[in-house]
Amino acid sequence: MNLLFVDSQTWTITMLGYAIVFVALCFLILIFTLVPKILSLDFKRLLRSREGNKNTGSKVKDVVMSGETNAAIAMALCLYFNDLHDEESNVITIKQVKRTYSPWSSKVYGFTNINFPR
Amino acid sequence: MKRFITLFGVLAALFSLQFIGGGFEAYAAGVDSGNAAFNNAFHGLEVFWNFTGFHNATWENFIMIAVGLFFIFLAIKYDYEPLLLIPIGTGILIGNIPFVEGYKIGIYEEGSVLNYLYFGVQQGVYPPLIFLGIGAMTDFSSLISNPKLMILGAAAQLGIFATFYGASAMGFTALESGAIGIIGGADGPTAIFLSSKLAPHLMGAIAIAAYSYMALVPVIQPPIMRLLVPKRERLIKMKPPRVVSKVEKVMFPILGLLFTTFISPSALPLLGMLFFGNLLKESGVTERLADTARNALINIVTILLGVTVGASTQADYFLTTNSLKIFALGAVSFAVATAGGLIFARIMNLFLSDENKVNPLIGSAGVSAVPDSARVSQIEGLKSDPTNHLLMHAMAPNVSGVIGSAVAAGILLAFLM
Repeated sequence: MNLLFVDSQTWTITMLGYAIVFVALCFLILIFTLVPKILSLDFKRLLRSREGNKNTGSKVKDVVMSGETNAAIAMALCLYFNDLHDEESNVITIKQVKRTYSPWSSKVYGFTNINFPR
Repeated sequence: MKRFITLFGVLAALFSLQFIGGGFEAYAAGVDSGNAAFNNAFHGLEVFWNFTGFHNATWENFIMIAVGLFFIFLAIKYDYEPLLLIPIGTGILIGNIPFVEGYKIGIYEEGSVLNYLYFGVQQGVYPPLIFLGIGAMTDFSSLISNPKLMILGAAAQLGIFATFYGASAMGFTALESGAIGIIGGADGPTAIFLSSKLAPHLMGAIAIAAYSYMALVPVIQPPIMRLLVPKRERLIKMKPPRVVSKVEKVMFPILGLLFTTFISPSALPLLGMLFFGNLLKESGVTERLADTARNALINIVTILLGVTVGASTQADYFLTTNSLKIFALGAVSFAVATAGGLIFARIMNLFLSDENKVNPLIGSAGVSAVPDSARVSQIEGLKSDPTNHLLMHAMAPNVSGVIGSAVAAGILLAFLM
């Protein structure tokens, strides 16, 4: 059967194919929404509460920090470490260099003094 | 230096003696044999001329050479995907130098060097290796932190199925339409993989169309984004993504591999390698392997893939009306895929609370041109609000687009093979 220039098989593949892509990725969304929840489950605490043990007062929570907080901490550390300087002895260590004459590079010996304008 | 010149001078003189001798002999043989020698020389020159590119050239060759030069120009001048366009452009030049067939020169001649290199494209060897590298260099944490954005990657696959429909309506067979449709996934390796299975005779045109439009993402997408997303929605600021634990990062490739390939086993070579590469990266204990996959391996395969795909555009195989139709369909498919992502992001916002709303500009990143389309979202977001950085958020639909297009390729294979 032809409908809008194409046969029914094309329509089936178009609609069903797109739907399957959606289903596949929705499936992944479901999994990855559940995984963090499963990972954060405190099984030991759950078991203890079932046994009626009330000694679970010290509840440790994962610290979740946003990227902005991390960036602020990183900036503060960067500024702090940039302000640090090496400690120096304050002794000036520049040595005086004597400019004694040495003929090894003297131009006087490098020129050919023939036809030199005098 | 003097000794060197003297030595070579003497050697040259000794070498030239044979010609002088030959010359005297020819002179002694008389005038007739001189004519024969002249004729032979002329015949030799004629044979040589028949073998040259100048003699065998057709206008189609020059058109394709111009296309190759244009690709190289785009890559160097405008920096459009240079890692792809330079090898492809050079490949087009290599593939369109005219030659006499039968001497194992051309890419379609069995036994030629280019034909051996092209084997990796024909049999779909290179695309999974590229996916291995992509997996090893991709950080899925933005996706893991906000899994609902994965749906945008699915929405943008509208381009694939709309093009499949369009190609069928234009008279292509079902197999050809499937191969052409995958251009809408904006994923070069997937396009090559699928077309090598469904319609090998159209692979050159499909690969060139896919890679060209991928390179032109910064040109194609922005006008559609501005058209479909109103100004106030472009200003939406999204919540920063949460920190993702290492366990989640390690579990992602394992679970992703198992679940996606169970749904679409035909996409196993692509998805298997993608998630394998990501596991190499995230496991933290195979850094050497991950490093090879994301650098040396992907670079080698990109070079081979680019040059051979370029060379496969030999004018007599490539310049057909079908190729022109494929290019037209490719342009439409990119536009539809972009629009699909953007519109779906706007629809999503109708059901989300104010604090969880997504900026619809990241919808366009659902096409899997990684990371160019995410970069386009970032740039467009900054144009509306210079403090609104969307790159991290856009990477989520972008990488899910890679998964989505591979799943779609698997589905088309399953339906059509």
